[in-house]
Amino acid sequence: GGRCVPTQRFVFLQVAEWLAHPFDGFLGRAAPAEPAGSSREPRAPGRRRAEPQLLPRKRAKPGAADPPCAQPGRSQAQEELPWVERYRPESQNDLAVQKKKIEEVETWLKTHIFQRQPKQGGSVLLLTGPPGCGKTATLQILARDLGLQVQEWTNPLSLDFTKEELRNSNFHTFPSQAQAALFQDFLLRANKYNKLQMLGESSENDKKLILIEDIPNQFYRDPGSLHEILRSFVRRSRCPLVFIISDNFSGDSNQRSLFPAEIVEELCICNISFKPVAPTNMMKVLNRIAAAEACMNRENYTPDRTSLELLCRGCSGDIRSAINSLQFSSTKEFWSKKKKQSSTIKCDEIGVSKVRKKSKCDASEDQEIQAIGGKDASIFLFHALGKIIYCKREAVSEAECPQLPAHLSAHRRDTLLIQPEDIVEKSHMSGSMFNLYLHQNYVDFFSDIDDVVRASEYLSTADVLCSNWSARLVMESYSASVATRGVIHSNTSRAFAHQQGGMGFRPLHKPQWFLINKKYQENCIAAKSLFSSFCLPPECLQTELLPYLAMLANPMRNQAQIAFIQDVGRLPLNRHFGRLQLEALGDKDPGVPELSHGDGDPEELPSSQSSGSDLPGSQPQPVAAQALQEEEELRIEEYDSD
Amino acid sequence: MSLWADKHRPGALGRLDFHREQAARLRNLVQCGDFPHLLVYGPSGAGKKTRIMCLLKELYGAGVEKLRIEHQSITAPSKKKIEISTIASNYHLEVNPSDAGNNDRVVIQELLKTVAQSQQLETSTQRDFKVVLLTEVDKLTKDAQHALRRTMEKYMATCRLILCCNSMSKIIGPIQSRCLAVRVPAPSTEDICHVLSSVCKKEGLTLPQELAQRIAEKSGRNLRKALLMCESCRVQQYPFTADQDIPEMDWEIYLRETANAIVGQQTPQRLLEVRGRLYELLTHCIPPEIIMKGLLTELLNNCDGQLKGEVAQMAAFYEHRLQLGSKAIYHLEAFVAKFMAIYKKFMEDGLDDIMF
Repeated sequence: GGRCVPTQRFVFLQVAEWLAHPFDGFLGRAAPAEPAGSSREPRAPGRRRAEPQLLPRKRAKPGAADPPCAQPGRSQAQEELPWVERYRPESQNDLAVQKKKIEEVETWLKTHIFQRQPKQGGSVLLLTGPPGCGKTATLQILARDLGLQVQEWTNPLSLDFTKEELRNSNFHTFPSQAQAALFQDFLLRANKYNKLQMLGESSENDKKLILIEDIPNQFYRDPGSLHEILRSFVRRSRCPLVFIISDNFSGDSNQRSLFPAEIVEELCICNISFKPVAPTNMMKVLNRIAAAEACMNRENYTPDRTSLELLCRGCSGDIRSAINSLQFSSTKEFWSKKKKQSSTIKCDEIGVSKVRKKSKCDASEDQEIQAIGGKDASIFLFHALGKIIYCKREAVSEAECPQLPAHLSAHRRDTLLIQPEDIVEKSHMSGSMFNLYLHQNYVDFFSDIDDVVRASEYLSTADVLCSNWSARLVMESYSASVATRGVIHSNTSRAFAHQQGGMGFRPLHKPQWFLINKKYQENCIAAKSLFSSFCLPPECLQTELLPYLAMLANPMRNQAQIAFIQDVGRLPLNRHFGRLQLEALGDKDPGVPELSHGDGDPEELPSSQSSGSDLPGSQPQPVAAQALQEEEELRIEEYDSD
Repeated sequence: MSLWADKHRPGALGRLDFHREQAARLRNLVQCGDFPHLLVYGPSGAGKKTRIMCLLKELYGAGVEKLRIEHQSITAPSKKKIEISTIASNYHLEVNPSDAGNNDRVVIQELLKTVAQSQQLETSTQRDFKVVLLTEVDKLTKDAQHALRRTMEKYMATCRLILCCNSMSKIIGPIQSRCLAVRVPAPSTEDICHVLSSVCKKEGLTLPQELAQRIAEKSGRNLRKALLMCESCRVQQYPFTADQDIPEMDWEIYLRETANAIVGQQTPQRLLEVRGRLYELLTHCIPPEIIMKGLLTELLNNCDGQLKGEVAQMAAFYEHRLQLGSKAIYHLEAFVAKFMAIYKKFMEDGLDDIMF
């Protein structure tokens, strides 16, 4: 049945002791003593039993902050914890998350737990954001502050078939199915039963929420089954369900497949999306940790302010990675080596140039970040496109850079603050794909047709560059570079830093080209196979025969031909300048187009394409014409007829 | 109840309506029972295919009209299966190798080999060679054309090739020199009028001379198109009147509207609308080259003589890019944008001249 353990902290400490200390090697300490068998024993049966664990597992994944100073009386175990554990946030103030987001989550929790209508069903909250931005920490702190029990699902590790289970009859089911079933079972129990009353606990505290971070694999394969479970959950249940899903930069996003828009709407799922931790917040946290470590007075080296800034920049908003890097970089050996290298460089830099050139500075710092063990930054396509299209610039003073001669003054631009090549690389897309996205969206941000001419010419060049398939891999990056820089430079309305705000926000769209091209190919193939009896080359067939067949009283052999002619031979003439439906690009959409999505669905295009039901008068119905045609059809016979 | 263009197609060299001298020469050519490889070229709707079929009938008799459609699958050396459909009688085989796209070389080699390696069965009553008719030869890749050159020499004993294309310019020299070139020019307007009248007579309709003339002019000397136009006129209104509307193809009207939209306003927003219209045309199976060409024709109608040269040059430039590149829309759009800029500048300059 549902087993609940009251003291979370206790369990957590126990768990932490089993783990080898990740930084042992650097800290020059022996690994902690092998825990006694007794400490492992009580937990083992719980693991082996393949039932949903209601243990509120405290994760080895804390998040965003630290206590102001380490207390002197901390146990040895406490000291050996990695810093991410030791300085886990203790209160809302410790959280490095935006205050607004915390409030949002708090409000949601309050409305759905304390102001719940009696008849109201369960409600679902979805927390998303990049890894290490404090999603889990926020929820746990809020839950503690509001006095909620958190019941968390963890995927059962393995399903050992013990004798009891064999007797319990579900041995013939596959593990994956069983996992989904167990999940459903867990939801039911977590919803129905409160945790056990332990000694010393008051019974007033029976509000709770169910937390799900591990999602059974089955649901990735078959999101429909998750939706079914959620539907019934929302109908029956009394307590809120919280999903925490990390954003995925490349490939298919979990959030999209598990929670498509229809489901979100149907079940009124509230989605709160966290942003990467802001550098200022991150600095605050890092400073506090550094200070705390310093007052613990170990032999560790305390990093100075600039190196903290470097850490901050290198981790791209992931606080967990930042704290890990901080701990790593605080080890003595690391910095003593590092110091020698960088001090010489630093001295040179200061000596040579008083005016710190931003680009130069960036380059040298980038190297250092890598040395410390920073994280590869990635950005969502939406932001990448935005950076290219809105192209931020920095004003240059007249004295600083040499002026262009008068006849070239039209090409004068302020310094770009972005590196287009970096952006394309960070968007995890191939160059030609990125160009397509750029092509779909650039026109909206131009105001002068002459600028568009130049931009479109660059895009055309970029396409030609990567047309040779054998050289495509190499050329794609050049092609993207030509396209992005071309588009940026062409836009004279964004040439200078002070001109930035003009156009305001415009929505971005996904490229239509894939759909259009796919339809073109499909229609060509369909035309060839449906009208092969006319023995015409494809071009004549498509540009002469089909359009006229649409107007003629020539009976077709079958319904497919009639439908096709009405679809392809006719164009929506009465409609003026309708634009094809555009699919908006959300700020977290993965870039790869879903080609299977529009399979054979002519409704994608809002045109006058009609089905066979409303044929114009000139088109005789096929049934009557069939007989006529059979006798007239002399010229071409099918092979088996003679 | 087939199309007029098919129904009234002449079945013998003697019954051809135009280019009679050429027909007589072709007849002389096959009189002796043998002929060299042929390269028949000429614009679309000039009667190339009709002549070839007449020639084959002359050679083999009515048996060539018993056609069947076969779907063959050929395995490329890379183990890739290529599906291609052929039209064949007992004596000849018609195939469009460019259907196979980049694998056209394999089609040429494998298909011709299987055809040429099998001897005709009854040489007493029939010719001792087969005929392979390759259409759209100008769309073949260079690879395939070189493969064709070798094949032509190798199997000369058992098979004759008839190559059919619109333009010789894309065919490599060695092939041109191995074939007897037969040029089938577009019929003159009078020829078309004559054909239209005779077809209408056979259909039991009376066609006013003026209407025939108008159709002929509008068809651009493309006989197939003229017949289709005439037939659609029949659907639209009968009895015919001399001044009735000749139905145009939807995509042509659409293209003209697109050109008007371009001329009407030159802004980025209008460019986006035009992009939507280009997409619409593409989804209706109009190839990008045709769109480019049609757009140029319509735009040239709309602009001043001074601009025409520049616009045509831009069109040629982007048409070339279109052939080189992989995604047509970039180049079509770049052309439209370029035209907009040229046209806008021209109009503004003109306005300045008037004002000062």
